[in-house]
Amino acid sequence: MFVRVEVARRPEFNDPEADRILRRIEMAHPKIRRAIRWARMLQVYWLEVQAPREQVIPAVSAIFHDPVVNWLFTGDLIPSTAGSHGGLLDLFESAPQRSGNFWGIERRFRPGVTDNVGRSAREALDIVLAGKNTHPRASSGCLLVLEGVDLKESDVTLLAKDVLSNELIHSWTLVPAVELRSNERFQPDHVRFGFSRSPMKGSDRVHEVALDGLNDQALTDMSREALWALSLDEMKAIRKHFQDNRVKSLRTDRDLPIQPTDVEMEVFAQTWSEHCKHKIFNATIHYREIGESPWGVRSSLPERVDSLFKTTIAGTTAEIQRPWLLSVFKDNAGIVALDEEDAICIKVETHNSPSALDPYGGALTGIVGVNRDILGCGRGAKPIFNTDVFCVAKPDYLAPLPDRILHPRRILDGVRKGVEDGGNQSGIPTVNGALVFDDRFLGKPLIYCGTGGIMPRMSGGIPCQTKEIRPSDRVFMVGGRIGKDGIHGATFSSLALQESSPTSAVQLGDPITQKRMSDFILEARDLGLYRTLTDNGAGGLSSSVGELATLSGGAKIDVGLAKTKYPGLRPYELVISESQERMTVAVPPEKRDAFKVLAQRRGVEVSDLGEFNTSGFFEILYNGKALALIDLKFLHHGGPTLEIEASWTHENQTPGKIEWDFSIDGPKRLLELLERPNIASKEWLIRQYDHEVQGMSVIKPLHTRMVGTPSEFSGPNDAAVLKPKPNKNIGIAVGCGINPKLSDLDPYLMAQSAVDESVRNILAVGAEYGTAESMLALVDNFCWPDPLVDTEKAGALVRACFGLRDACLELGAPLISGKDSMKNDYVGKREGKEIRISVPPTLLVTAMGRVKDIRKARTADFKGDGQSIYLLGGRQFGLLGSEMHAMLMERIREKGGSQNSAVLPTSNLLTKEHRLGLPDWRVAQRIYRWLGGSLGEHQERLSSVHDVSEGGVLVAVVESILGRGLGGLIQVPRYEDPWEFCFGEGFHSFVVSCSPAHTQFLEAEWKNYEVPFLAMGHVQKAPRLEVQFQTGVKPESWSLDMDLCRKAWSREGYWE
Amino acid sequence: MSSPLRALVITGDGINCETETAEALRLVGFEAEIRHLNDMIAESMTLDHLSSRYSVLALPGGFSFADDLSSGKLLALKIQHGLRWDLAAFAARGGLVLGVCNGFQALIRLGIFGKSVTITNNEQGKFVNKWVRVVRGSDSCVWLKRMGTIDLPIRHGEGRILFQGSHSAEVVSKFERYGMMCLKYEQNPNGSAFGLAGLCDSTGRIFGLMPHPEAFVRWTSHPEWTYQPDRAGGPGDGLLMFQNAFQEVSGK
Repeated sequence: MFVRVEVARRPEFNDPEADRILRRIEMAHPKIRRAIRWARMLQVYWLEVQAPREQVIPAVSAIFHDPVVNWLFTGDLIPSTAGSHGGLLDLFESAPQRSGNFWGIERRFRPGVTDNVGRSAREALDIVLAGKNTHPRASSGCLLVLEGVDLKESDVTLLAKDVLSNELIHSWTLVPAVELRSNERFQPDHVRFGFSRSPMKGSDRVHEVALDGLNDQALTDMSREALWALSLDEMKAIRKHFQDNRVKSLRTDRDLPIQPTDVEMEVFAQTWSEHCKHKIFNATIHYREIGESPWGVRSSLPERVDSLFKTTIAGTTAEIQRPWLLSVFKDNAGIVALDEEDAICIKVETHNSPSALDPYGGALTGIVGVNRDILGCGRGAKPIFNTDVFCVAKPDYLAPLPDRILHPRRILDGVRKGVEDGGNQSGIPTVNGALVFDDRFLGKPLIYCGTGGIMPRMSGGIPCQTKEIRPSDRVFMVGGRIGKDGIHGATFSSLALQESSPTSAVQLGDPITQKRMSDFILEARDLGLYRTLTDNGAGGLSSSVGELATLSGGAKIDVGLAKTKYPGLRPYELVISESQERMTVAVPPEKRDAFKVLAQRRGVEVSDLGEFNTSGFFEILYNGKALALIDLKFLHHGGPTLEIEASWTHENQTPGKIEWDFSIDGPKRLLELLERPNIASKEWLIRQYDHEVQGMSVIKPLHTRMVGTPSEFSGPNDAAVLKPKPNKNIGIAVGCGINPKLSDLDPYLMAQSAVDESVRNILAVGAEYGTAESMLALVDNFCWPDPLVDTEKAGALVRACFGLRDACLELGAPLISGKDSMKNDYVGKREGKEIRISVPPTLLVTAMGRVKDIRKARTADFKGDGQSIYLLGGRQFGLLGSEMHAMLMERIREKGGSQNSAVLPTSNLLTKEHRLGLPDWRVAQRIYRWLGGSLGEHQERLSSVHDVSEGGVLVAVVESILGRGLGGLIQVPRYEDPWEFCFGEGFHSFVVSCSPAHTQFLEAEWKNYEVPFLAMGHVQKAPRLEVQFQTGVKPESWSLDMDLCRKAWSREGYWE
Repeated sequence: MSSPLRALVITGDGINCETETAEALRLVGFEAEIRHLNDMIAESMTLDHLSSRYSVLALPGGFSFADDLSSGKLLALKIQHGLRWDLAAFAARGGLVLGVCNGFQALIRLGIFGKSVTITNNEQGKFVNKWVRVVRGSDSCVWLKRMGTIDLPIRHGEGRILFQGSHSAEVVSKFERYGMMCLKYEQNPNGSAFGLAGLCDSTGRIFGLMPHPEAFVRWTSHPEWTYQPDRAGGPGDGLLMFQNAFQEVSGK
């Protein structure tokens, strides 16, 4: 029978789901929000069960009804506890005002889109009606009911399209009041009619793609129309390969057309996509530099670079060499040794393009996708932490939005929810991250998701990093089923975002299916049931099997054997679908049965697709019929090398000077900086992520005082520390560095700043540093505007890569994994005018280090009244490229001025030029080696360490004070420009504190090891920040109530 | 040598705190076994088997079935229909039951605390991970003996306990009479009725709570621990609950 179930919250309770929607309406359409007086959200289920009424009634009640808080509406199936109407009318009568217009919006998933809740409803029916062969089907949706006097149909339509649903994955219908009042919609025929149907049946035909005889234009057009993103040179290379006589005869033997099939073209397109192949990073680059750096930054880089990846990334690690490096740039993630028993692996990915279209689904699949990279790393690792970094336009962006671009608040709300669901539901703590705001991220947000994992160094006598497959090992697809979701994800992300971008590239994740698969994989690993594995991410089976096949030298699979979500998938879709929650596993033939049995016991689906062999080919069949025969050598090495022209023009930026009185303007600007989204508290976000599950947490994203009391307050920490082994005090620290605004000055410095900040962050919390044995590894993630359309952007890439390389070499910090995303541009229209929005060149560096003893880990907060405050490290700060600079430039732009009219403040008596903070790696070495425990012995006498980053020294001091509810006195060195000292930014510096009893030990040690330091004040009880400075004859000072700082920094009510 | 005291920790279907829960039980002396729900269902593990082998049954935290259809719901249905254990009988035979977070939600859905109480979305409609201060609300829970005010983390989106009929006196008086409202927040973080953080059954042997005691078994888990670094290496407040359980079943 067919049943429609509606679950409504009883009127005496608030309805959090409706409240959440109202908050989102407020963000998107404040005017319509004011027209709404009352809103309720009902959960809706459409069920089909082959069972009699008397079995269905108790099952539906048991599954869906919680009589304490809910009303259940089922038409006339089950008498409702709500009242005489047994439907929405009962709820309407509870609305405080009943005179207005009632409207309903019903939302469901489009056919073929993953419906996790529907899946759970079906499982529930299976559990409750166990053994009765009732073949339940279920789909889920919701019904939003609104009431308002002036609520018009056009308003409600707008809300349906723009707030309640994402039309890529949802369909919606407006339900007028008269229909809401009637119980018509519960009629079985209505339910049956509305039952989500599978997508239309496709054809199983395989097409020959006629390349012969096409001219260049025709080849280019064909690639674009098919969404292959293959260049003309690549199309020609493929055509040439298939004209080879040896290839021709092999194809004839197998009854394959002479020219490539559509399936083969798709495999090339996926494997050669920028997303998978990193063509730009492997290109030959011709670089020229115009002028010299006005700041003396390294100029004249090599004029020809054969592969930036080999030269500046892998080459850098090869030069550094460390005994604890187990696998770098080979596997899904970099692997390092934690100790004799265990290894740690880490990977960071971006999911920018999917998140631009569907922020929730994009971020969710981003996080569960990178989790699978860890699960598929080496012989399988257990994910133990996630990181996330979001770069978006400012949340209070006011200008008109370009076509198809979502408002940054919606992006942020969606990606936050995506990481929350992806991370929290998977039971993996989100321990570190960052939020960066810049209006150039409007065109494409940057959504970085990272994961770290742990695995035993040996399992079954084989080292964890071994990736081995033997001929006749079986090819298993494990986990989710294949659907139409995520077709062309890899090629799509290799194109700029356009109005016509494909909607099928969007996928929804299913964390629970993945959790089950993940638990199963790790259990199978420990039982030795498989040889190796990899994840099915970009490119689906075409990439995962295509890559693993290189380990044995060939593979033959029949995609007709793969489990699918619904019938009617075309063969090429089976091959390239990026449906989530799938791994590809190589299982020795003698373990095949045991592998299948365990999978079944764990409720995990597996498909045995074929076997690995030594044929040299990746061969794909569909129900026995040949679809593809691809030479592995050609697939992986046959693509033409890209040649790129790159240039960089050095420009001197000398903003004008504005004379501000530091005693008056200083405190004002400090408050303004504290409430800048880039600096303000991220607690609203952090608290919605589980950052402690798995019980390893030592240093959390926030330090908190007065836990659980009304005076509770949290300040930021620099990085996370985890204790991954229950019986050992060894720890790992995870932090990150990102500073895109420096790209405007010099991308070389932008990259160096990211390295320095990431390293400082983990040193602050207690990571070891300074000997060959100290484990400290970096992960690079480049997000760039298309370097192929602008030689300066290609030049920026060259400079950033060399900046990264030089910083890594100076610090002896190897890169172990990385990823790049090269098409972060929007091309489209705003108010009818063509525009292109490109992100600033952005490098995220994630640092992971070892903490010898977690009992000595550190937090950023000053521990009490009277503690001495030091600035540790150099103090060559500059206002150029600082957050203060960005703030003043924004103001000028808002008033219609040009960038050239930018000004920076100075004190009234000083006249020197504005400086740019620059690195001095020799000094950095000494500071970091001391802090990292390889020089000296008094580090434990420090009671807090906090790095100086966005906003400069004063912001760092305030952040250290905030958490404790104290105050502080800071003395700016005499005759030093207080603007530059307090608000300038630079490299290598920390604000540290210690008890006065320890100062002599520390100062002696710092002098001894030539670690620059400055005693700059002390913590005081009175909750005020007092700043003393002297620019003229007399010392001056100002003081600021810490409560004002706290209010500015917290920005209560600003965030969702 | 007497046989070891065993604790059964359930896993599967999205439960995700099984490792640290087992670790906490081991720290106080139990031999903890993590077992997949599907295996126990496949074996048709009976209540007799359960009570003869295990002294403690722990339902750890997690996101079983993604909280779809309400938190803990499907896990409860699966236990109820797949295993048919009468947990009250297990307790009556000397067993102890602990449900943490999602495990507690499942205990509520199983009807352990009666039909007039439920647990639902936090009042603010958001998931929250923060530390809270909790205090005993009654003296009857075995797990909470000798416990003063302690700090524990909460990590949930559905932790608001509600009673039928807007907490009618009739409903609540039963809970009060039997000391079932055994754990309360000092500062209510989610709109829970009476600031309730946990409940026990009328025997005090079946106990469920939203905060995570297994996440505070060492001092260095506390968000303020660096303020008292001398205690690093020492235990956390959550350990006491597990110690109480061990004392109770070992008779020591």
